[in-house]
Amino acid sequence: MLTALVTGIAAGALYAAAALVYNVMFSTSKVLSVTTGHLSMLGGVFGAWLMAGLGWPLPLALLGAVLIGAAFGIATEIIAIRRVLSRSDEHLWLLSTLALATMLQQGVALWWGTEPKPFPRLLPQDFSAGLADQKYWLPVAIALLLAVALELFYRRTLYGKLFVAMSEDAFAARARGIPTDLIRSLSFALAGAMGALAGFAAGQLTFAYFALGLTLTLNGFVALAVGGLGSNLGALVGGLLLGVIGAFATYYLGGEYQQTIAVGLLMLVLLVKPAGLFGSASIRPV
Amino acid sequence: MRASRAVVMVGGLLALATMPWWARDQYQLHLAALIGVYWILIAGLNLIVGYSGQLSIGHVGLLAIGAYAFAILTGRYEWSPWIALMASGGIGALCGLLLGLPSLRLPGFYFAMATLAFALIVTEISLAQGDLTGGGTGLSVPGFTAPFDTPGGFHALILSVAALITWLTWNVARFMWGRALIAVRDSVVTAQAVGVPVFRAKLLVFVFSGLTAGVAGALFASLQSYITPDTFVFELGLFFFVCIIIGGRGTIVGPLIGTAVLTALPEIVAPLARWSTFFYGLLLLAVVLLVPEGIGHVVEIVRARWKPRSLQSFAVTPDAARLARCLRADPER
Repeated sequence: MLTALVTGIAAGALYAAAALVYNVMFSTSKVLSVTTGHLSMLGGVFGAWLMAGLGWPLPLALLGAVLIGAAFGIATEIIAIRRVLSRSDEHLWLLSTLALATMLQQGVALWWGTEPKPFPRLLPQDFSAGLADQKYWLPVAIALLLAVALELFYRRTLYGKLFVAMSEDAFAARARGIPTDLIRSLSFALAGAMGALAGFAAGQLTFAYFALGLTLTLNGFVALAVGGLGSNLGALVGGLLLGVIGAFATYYLGGEYQQTIAVGLLMLVLLVKPAGLFGSASIRPV
Repeated sequence: MRASRAVVMVGGLLALATMPWWARDQYQLHLAALIGVYWILIAGLNLIVGYSGQLSIGHVGLLAIGAYAFAILTGRYEWSPWIALMASGGIGALCGLLLGLPSLRLPGFYFAMATLAFALIVTEISLAQGDLTGGGTGLSVPGFTAPFDTPGGFHALILSVAALITWLTWNVARFMWGRALIAVRDSVVTAQAVGVPVFRAKLLVFVFSGLTAGVAGALFASLQSYITPDTFVFELGLFFFVCIIIGGRGTIVGPLIGTAVLTALPEIVAPLARWSTFFYGLLLLAVVLLVPEGIGHVVEIVRARWKPRSLQSFAVTPDAARLARCLRADPER
């Protein structure tokens, strides 16, 4: 029972982190990128490779994984977003990010292998710690850290305020002299770094597994839609809700119905409150 | 132009129909049948993705449902394959309705994610309900009765079903419903303003695509003769989707060629098989970035480059006498 709750919170923290990553990219570009979950997958796989394969120490490996995530974030923006946003068709970004996500996933599968590989211990701790094990509390700590840091960044720094201005109205921001293309690239780099960090921290829970990306893209999106698009508090609450409900469903029904539960929750929330729990209803001018 | 196109179509159909006699080995025949089965699904999906612009990436779930329905009905309950084929179409349509009712109300990305989730759910359930579906070990599927139990006969069956489905989708596409769907794709607001029942139109073609997916699933299961949940991976759904986008949205010929080429390519070029999904992703990215109208558009661009439209000049000679009369005319009179 307690085990179910703890694993649920840990998995939920990872979903919440993915939802935060969605939010960071969405705020500046109004794009929901399919590559979101794959950023965390990169963090996990490269973290495991750098630490276990190449034997790098923890800080260096962490830095490397985060940099790789950020680089892929920028590459996503340059390859799949920039050209597409200048066209009028509103769904093209979905296709281009889907294509990029597929290529990344297959590339990693061919290079890394399709089996989940173990992630090395990050902190010296005995395996007998049970529920206080680092693999449960590390993702939660990182998700909370990301949420708080993001909030401070948005409220206290100039660049954060530029992000907020662009999310409010990109045209007005551009008219005030904000380099919107640069800010969008930076937001994708930030999102990549955040996703890789979350994937790195949750590596011991999820293992270094190439197919993690797609499930995380879906579950992070469910968390985001449940919590409300654009709301960071909603992302946290939605992620934890999804994780805990999924864990209890596993506890009572067995592990086969994870996605069914997740989508059931999504449909329920969308039916009752289409904007999500903490989202603001958007008014569309015609 | 029209006549030459008809000749090409009739010739192609004849070549396909006589394939059992000129194909070099059984494998080529199997490949042709596989393309036909995929096309049956993609023809229906084309109305969703190509015409009404709803990006469904999870139709592999409906294919799996059709396949499992056929396998269970013929294998366990020993129904006649023909009734089971129709029943799988019906079950596919029903599941399309159940999936479409909530998800077609959602905007673009939400809809894509809902269909993706549907595909994953079907895999989950087929693994979980081991008593019914055989779980991870899968099910063996009986074939059709004579004269369709040989590879050649089965090829003929698939070809005729594919031709029927193509004719149906062509009828939908070129008349009122097709225009309504294109209107929905290009601008929902405009479509609503001119009186297109947006949700009903989308739902109707979605149910139809469920039916074709169910039929395709039944034929697919019979063709493969053994199915497991691993057969219906998400990448297969992505493959269907890529075939349509590459062939071009809003046409029937484009996705047909896309299906044939993309199915045959990894089989013919053996080293490509390992990289096939990566290659689909790359192809999708290239098409989206360079020619969002589809590969067929490249032909038009090249043709326009090589043979610029000849400019005709019309000499305009003013009718001087009449002009003078008009100018001189008194406006008072």
